[in-house]
Amino acid sequence: MWKTVLRRVVIMIPQLFVLSLLVFILAKFMPGDPFTGLITPETDPARIEELRERAGLNDPWYMQYARWVGNLVQGDLGTSYRFKQPVEDIIGEKGLNTLWLSLLSVILLYLIAIPLGMLAGRYNNSKLDKAIVLYSFISYAIPTFVLALLFLFLFGYTLHWFPTIGSVDVSAVPGSFDWYWSKIYHLILPAITFAILGTTGVIQYLRSEIIDAKSLDYVRTARSKGIPMKKVYSKHIFRNSLLPIAAFLGFTITGLLGGSIFIETIFGYPGMGQLFITSILSRDYSVITALVMLYGFLTLLGSLLSDIIMSIVDPRIRIE
Amino acid sequence: MKKQHWSLLALLFALVLALAACSGNTAEEKPEDTDKPEETDTTTDAPEETDTASDALFDLAVTNEGEAIDGGILKVAMVKDEPFAGIFSWELYEDAYDADIMGYASNSLFEVDGNFMITDEGSIASLDVDQENNKVTVKIREGVKWSDGEPLTIEDVILPYLIIGHPDYTGVRYDSQFQNIIGAEEYNAGTADTISGLKQIDDHTLEISFKQLSPAIFYGGDGLWTYAAPAHQIADIPVAELVEHDAVRKNPVTLGAFKFKNIVPGESVEFEKNEHYWKGEPKLDGVIVQVVPSSSISVALGSGEYDLAFAFNATKMPEIENYENISVLGRPELYYSYLGFKVGKFDTENGINVTDFEGSKMGDVKLRQAMGYALDIEAVSEIYYNGLRERANSLIPPVFESFYDASLEGYVFDPAKAESILDEAGYVDVDGDGLREDPNGEKLEIKLAAMSGDATQEDIISYYLQNWKDVGLNVTLTTGRLIEFNSFYDKVQADDPEIDIFMGAWGTGTNPSPSGLYGAVDQFNFSRYTSDELEALVKGIDSPQAFDAEWRAEQFKAFQQHIEEVATTIPMQFRYEIFPVNKRVKNYSVDYSEPTELHEIELVAEEPIAN
Repeated sequence: MWKTVLRRVVIMIPQLFVLSLLVFILAKFMPGDPFTGLITPETDPARIEELRERAGLNDPWYMQYARWVGNLVQGDLGTSYRFKQPVEDIIGEKGLNTLWLSLLSVILLYLIAIPLGMLAGRYNNSKLDKAIVLYSFISYAIPTFVLALLFLFLFGYTLHWFPTIGSVDVSAVPGSFDWYWSKIYHLILPAITFAILGTTGVIQYLRSEIIDAKSLDYVRTARSKGIPMKKVYSKHIFRNSLLPIAAFLGFTITGLLGGSIFIETIFGYPGMGQLFITSILSRDYSVITALVMLYGFLTLLGSLLSDIIMSIVDPRIRIE
Repeated sequence: MKKQHWSLLALLFALVLALAACSGNTAEEKPEDTDKPEETDTTTDAPEETDTASDALFDLAVTNEGEAIDGGILKVAMVKDEPFAGIFSWELYEDAYDADIMGYASNSLFEVDGNFMITDEGSIASLDVDQENNKVTVKIREGVKWSDGEPLTIEDVILPYLIIGHPDYTGVRYDSQFQNIIGAEEYNAGTADTISGLKQIDDHTLEISFKQLSPAIFYGGDGLWTYAAPAHQIADIPVAELVEHDAVRKNPVTLGAFKFKNIVPGESVEFEKNEHYWKGEPKLDGVIVQVVPSSSISVALGSGEYDLAFAFNATKMPEIENYENISVLGRPELYYSYLGFKVGKFDTENGINVTDFEGSKMGDVKLRQAMGYALDIEAVSEIYYNGLRERANSLIPPVFESFYDASLEGYVFDPAKAESILDEAGYVDVDGDGLREDPNGEKLEIKLAAMSGDATQEDIISYYLQNWKDVGLNVTLTTGRLIEFNSFYDKVQADDPEIDIFMGAWGTGTNPSPSGLYGAVDQFNFSRYTSDELEALVKGIDSPQAFDAEWRAEQFKAFQQHIEEVATTIPMQFRYEIFPVNKRVKNYSVDYSEPTELHEIELVAEEPIAN
């Protein structure tokens, strides 16, 4: 198995290479460049041209590409044109925000979805099941920004249960207990929104797996051995029903850094989604390319992780 | 193996989608917000109020009677859908929002008067202009202290020049204006250790020598730098490292009423009062500036989360109109939008605009004028902008009272006139399809480049296209749709043959001089119109002769008239900027001539008042 893993990792290299070429060319295809946005009646076109020249943007694309890849291989992602900081610092800062948000969201997501899915599967066709299915369809159908705005207005501005904006209270002293608490407090509302929007998949998979499993031989065997129904559900069926969810776990883990532009914008929570969009709008090439490469790498890693996890939880599957 | 291919494909597909989606969304909340001026002196500006009738739309100041509380924190919302960049240095910042934040901790040396001109009154430094010898003397007040208690010295005034002129400096401010300082180019080239034109006279006086002075000097132009930088804090930091340094990002010391206390990158800034502020200790304890998304700003203001909002989009006015807990202040913005006609090309080799009326589709002045008369800008201003915009009659916003020519008619909506002009000029419908052909009887299709913006932008542009169709002109969109900001300027600047006319906008900055936008050598002269007459006016406005204010004003008026006659650029709209202010705020003003004194702001309640 480890040989296979190694092989998959090696295969990633050409994949990432192709991706780097594509993203670089696509980025350059975008009209304008990081300096286009700087024009005002008072800026000097000659100075902008000089900055362009100095940034190497006037070189042929393959030279720029070679330079970029050269730096990339050495771990240098470049400097953001907009933030004037090393790209890794910016991604570190926003990525950490996103990571905490996603982590809490995923935990909440499973906390909400697994019990609901199990209940719906166990009591399928009951009123409870129908209510859960209805809920899951609504949460699936509702646009992200509608739910986010609704929650913000309801729990934030009307009931004042949660802070409405940002990732932390600016007055809290970094490192203090208040600061950590403030960070968590600011996370809750966006995380709940995020979690609710994502529950459908898990609920539906779990529900249908459980319904299927109910009529399977091993369940009947367990019942005939006299094991109480409750235990059959919690021990036998539950474990097997989690398989399809485990299949996505790799992507879930690497997807933690993805971020969500809607949630981040509405809750004023600066994370990766927003960073990606604003970088594209301001043609911040170094950030755009770094992020796409990062996401590309994470996707490949996610698929690998998922396969490994599957082979661990399901002995029938063996990677060869 | 197969699976891997799929995942890569899927990824690329997602990427393409993301890129495509993004380019469509650009500038969501900024309708035709082309260009912010370099806000070199946003907060300290004290420009003058004009007496145009429309000014009465809003109050300019809140006074709120009532007992002020002791101290308190002013909560300021900065309406923005993305994080701020957080470069808190006047020499280095690029994003205008950073300047807005820094306004609370200004390092400005000069105040300006109602005409946006530097005045000694209330300024840290005095400015003496020796026009004959092209010299300027800057003398700083004694006893002014930085927020950390260190005294302000003349080194602090010199330092910004050494930063901007430095070979390692990567900002936009090392420009042709800055090179007007004698010795700046040598210093930038590395052949001199310092800028020879900067001469320290004594501990409080600096003499600066320029190649050539113009009236722009009084607006902080010509290379004069109007801010101080804390030499004791940053002089030893290499210029290349400055932009990432904590002294810029985290704890810059300031001369203003407030000083930085905490910064949450991209989100919020907490200021506390600067006890060393030279005008007196601020009455507030502090200020919090927070980025607030445009989607929730109106509700946030209504529920009393914030005392002030800046960068509040005027199109949201109806959402807050009925709130009783806020007053809305407003003032005309230093801005105009325009319709430009391509009548030439930029010769990149020689760096000059070449006008070619004969060879341009839009070469006929009658056609251009008719297109102006055909536009129902009045209705658009009223319906889509709730009267917060108005038809512009000139390329100088009325705020610049002494330069603005109120007597100009402009192109007031008059379709009948448009039609008669077109008939007269020979643009008639020959083949009977309801659309006019050009004087040679050829089909006439005019390509309009327009920027994408918020939801109403599409409707507005369609309405304009219909206006033109009503007088028989076939105007279609370049690329078939609205164009994203970056692409728009890319195409317009490159004289894309697919563009005959275009709709853009300029923020004028505090010096509305047309040089840079209408001169013969200006790349940003997008219509590519230049002539001896225009060039003489553009040059004249910034010539030594223009130190005679009256003469300069005449040149300005002649410039406006000239452009109106040739109609290569037709002004479209002026607009208001509005500032919602909570009713607990006392002594706040957006009046250009009597700006807020930050240390005088008071609050009359512990928390912002909720609706």
